[in-house]
Amino acid sequence: MKLENPLRSAAALIVGLVFLSPALYSIWLSFQTADAYYAGGLEFTLDNYGRAVGQYHFARYLFNSVFVSGIVTLGGIAMATLAAYAFARFTFRGSDLLFGLTIATLMIPSHISLIPNYLTLARVGLLDSYAGLILPPMASAFATFFLRQYIRGIPRSLDEAAYMDGASSLQVLTRVIVPLARPAILSMALYIFINEWNSYIWPLVAIGKSDLYTLQVGLARLYKINPGEDLIDWPLVMAASTISILPVLLGFALVERHLVRGITMGAVK
Amino acid sequence: MAPAPTLMQNPPGQTSSGCSPTGCPMVRKLLPYLYIVPLMAFIAVFTYIPIVTSINLSFREWDFLSPTMPFVGLENYKLLLSSTEFWNSLRVTALFAAFSVPLRLGLALLIASWLTSDRFETRLLRGAFFLPSVTSTVSIAVVFSWVFATDYGVANELLKRIGVDKIPWLQDPRIALWVLILVNTWKQIGYDIVIYIAGLQAIPDELYDAASVDGGGRFHVFRRITLPLVMPTTYFLLVISVIEAFQVFTIVSVMTHGGPASATDMLVNMLYRVGFVLFDIGTGSALAVLLFIILIALALIKSRVIGRKVHYEA
Amino acid sequence: MTRNFLKLAGASLIALVGATSISMAATTITFWHSFDPEKPNGKALAEIIGNFEAANPGIDIQSEFIGNYNDIVAKLQAAIPAHREPDAVIMEVTRYGLFADRGVLTDLSDYVEKDPLKNDLFDFAREVGMFKGKNYIVPFNSSTPVLYYNKDIFARAGFAEEPALKTYDDILKVSKQITEKLGVEGITGIAAPGQFARWGLVMDNDSDLIDSKTGDILLDSANTIEAYQWMASLVHEHKVASADGVTDEDMGRDAFLQGKVGIMLNSTGTYVRSKKAIGENLAVRPMPCNKVCSVPIGGAGIGILSTAEQDVKDAAYKFISFAANPESNAIWFAGTGYMPINKHTADQQKAKDALAKQPGIDVAISQLDFARGRPRPPVVTWMRASEYDLWQAMALGQRDVKEVLTEFAAKTRAEAERLAK
Repeated sequence: MKLENPLRSAAALIVGLVFLSPALYSIWLSFQTADAYYAGGLEFTLDNYGRAVGQYHFARYLFNSVFVSGIVTLGGIAMATLAAYAFARFTFRGSDLLFGLTIATLMIPSHISLIPNYLTLARVGLLDSYAGLILPPMASAFATFFLRQYIRGIPRSLDEAAYMDGASSLQVLTRVIVPLARPAILSMALYIFINEWNSYIWPLVAIGKSDLYTLQVGLARLYKINPGEDLIDWPLVMAASTISILPVLLGFALVERHLVRGITMGAVK
Repeated sequence: MAPAPTLMQNPPGQTSSGCSPTGCPMVRKLLPYLYIVPLMAFIAVFTYIPIVTSINLSFREWDFLSPTMPFVGLENYKLLLSSTEFWNSLRVTALFAAFSVPLRLGLALLIASWLTSDRFETRLLRGAFFLPSVTSTVSIAVVFSWVFATDYGVANELLKRIGVDKIPWLQDPRIALWVLILVNTWKQIGYDIVIYIAGLQAIPDELYDAASVDGGGRFHVFRRITLPLVMPTTYFLLVISVIEAFQVFTIVSVMTHGGPASATDMLVNMLYRVGFVLFDIGTGSALAVLLFIILIALALIKSRVIGRKVHYEA
Repeated sequence: MTRNFLKLAGASLIALVGATSISMAATTITFWHSFDPEKPNGKALAEIIGNFEAANPGIDIQSEFIGNYNDIVAKLQAAIPAHREPDAVIMEVTRYGLFADRGVLTDLSDYVEKDPLKNDLFDFAREVGMFKGKNYIVPFNSSTPVLYYNKDIFARAGFAEEPALKTYDDILKVSKQITEKLGVEGITGIAAPGQFARWGLVMDNDSDLIDSKTGDILLDSANTIEAYQWMASLVHEHKVASADGVTDEDMGRDAFLQGKVGIMLNSTGTYVRSKKAIGENLAVRPMPCNKVCSVPIGGAGIGILSTAEQDVKDAAYKFISFAANPESNAIWFAGTGYMPINKHTADQQKAKDALAKQPGIDVAISQLDFARGRPRPPVVTWMRASEYDLWQAMALGQRDVKEVLTEFAAKTRAEAERLAK
């Protein structure tokens, strides 16, 4: 299956560029003026970004997305690691059932909880708040499952040695398990972060106040209100779109391998 | 690469007690519960209780405004199952799945079998294909709304250059769903490719060598060795992508709102519309419950079929 | 954030100091509306709000552009269980009935009764705010649909003088000629009618969607079906209207603004924007009178949420009254094209200038003789939200008009019955 033909490699690169061309072209467009675009000309500007960030509040949305995804990731990973550790290393009454219930949520479509979660948060007054965005998606059954499997692969003798030295079970977790499971934790953190970053339907229903919009909701709305005089201002929309994929684009090269590993291992769930 | 843990991996000799054989203090017995409490609490509040709530609401009538929610029995289900909207949604969703899944898997396998080597260019190309699958769906939907805009859209500008008339991609009920299938494929195919590559790399080289010695051509090798051996992966991807197709919302919501003429009104879009545009909470909940049943059925098929096949792969 | 905090802090300080002497407590009113701040209508609203705040230093209006009328309805309904509704809201004149019926909106009858404004408002403007004998909204922007056309396109299509534009056949004939002559340039005859215009065209055909007297659902009456058949045929049969405007009615309007469409039937509230876009080439005429001359009164009024605190309600009503006074109404009329609702608006210099310099801005006013308010039972909200998808199916030739409307009428009756329970 090895391919050594340099022509094929060149073809591969072209294919890659062609494949990504809609995205690349949209980024290119975001640096042009609307007038030039509609006239079929070419004129570069940073003004679209200025307007997206200033007039259309994308700086605020960017902050919201970073903050919300960040907290969901931290909280989600902490909960998943704790639970994974318990499920991997302890037997306790009901552990199989509880683990089963956790895994079963992977099969449950999140949409069934859309209306109920809306009502739950409405009742406690958490709609239109960061907490309302953060809490519902925070528990990650997949990360729990994944980390539990990973932790089970860590030799038990290492735990035992730490216990011999008088460590508590929490210390075993923080000093032995977490350092050894770091790659898996990182993969899962990325997985949670990206999912949250890209999530749309929940922020769409949970947030009404524009200062709490995430990038996805802000972008969808900007597109919907047709900015521009009479023609939609595509360069402006593309600047906003570029802002909302930027962090993923920037981090992609660094983390691709972790992501791929997480996904591949997840496939065998 | 870290050891890949799987559900199937269950080392028989391993005792799963965290305590030393000499005994356990009482506190240690309670500790595991403390560790799982946060997770279980979240899962209970945001996943399990909502299922019950949805089922309850599906037997009631409510519009968010009335102070009461009268019980109406199976009325909402009857209404839903006798409506053209529901069957249209189901049909559109099934159509989407029926065409997008083979397209995704076929292309992905083709591309993956071309990208198994570990050289720089292949890795780069793999990255290129993978990138959209981690990119914001809203962004992708907005970008493709522009690509397929009737006026000043990229696709029609290209067509103009070769002398073809404008095509109203997203305004023609016969075309719009295909555009969505295409966009969804573009976004998701990187994931399929990555999974296929993992599956392909697990096939021992000796098998290929043996097949070559037997004098099989490329196609022969592909059909006799590759295809059967990646079957478990295919099953897995098949079910995963069908389940995904039943949950598509974002691209519909941004690109077509379910239109034109309900031609892209997929199930979750209908759920959103019934719940958060028409505020028929009872019918919306009934729809959510039906969707839930469909997806659980699909997921059970998955664990039945895949559960067995994956042993094979590992 | 910081500025708001300072504002709030400042306001609290003022409140604290003023509490013992005169009541100067700063009141904040959250106000949802439907006018894009980037467009002429939103700018006119901002000017009125600015004037109000200058005249009432104790009241702060926090206005938020929500989207179109549908978006406001959806967002308001979603907000009720979450208790995140605003204090005041713009509601379209046929879609507030549901909210009035469910006690979401405050009965403003007492406020209006004590307000001298009530004698200054035109009768039609008073009427649109009434639901079951009580006053729930006070009109802010009133409109009728009118017929806009592009003189330049007409001339290029071979109309040396203005053709008749009175009946369905007239409109179709003109639209065909434009599409035939100028189709190669990407110009079509007419923009697919939006929902407001569709309702108007049904009324022109001597019918209605809901009978304004008896409240009967008329969606499946012969004249309504005929009207929809004609509208749908513009798109899928005669192809004189682009499908773009069917899937998104804003796109039909935008195509007209870009000079790519000959005729547009739309609210007079798009007058100023259209004038800005196509200038001297804009002509405004009354709606067609196919069987009768009859146009719907549209637009929206401002209502107050019943959950607002009493002092907020008082302040909000002050704003409502201010927004309908001759000065504000003249700014609004001249800046948007919406009809004057106040009898004294025409005395204002701004309004006089507009009438003198903006030909056609008065067409809607001249239609008032045969304009009428539409019924607004709770089911209209549902009916209008559901109509869009069905219109698409009919206009794009996916489903038979008669079949769709018969089914829709039955569903609407069932829904009306359900809502009445």
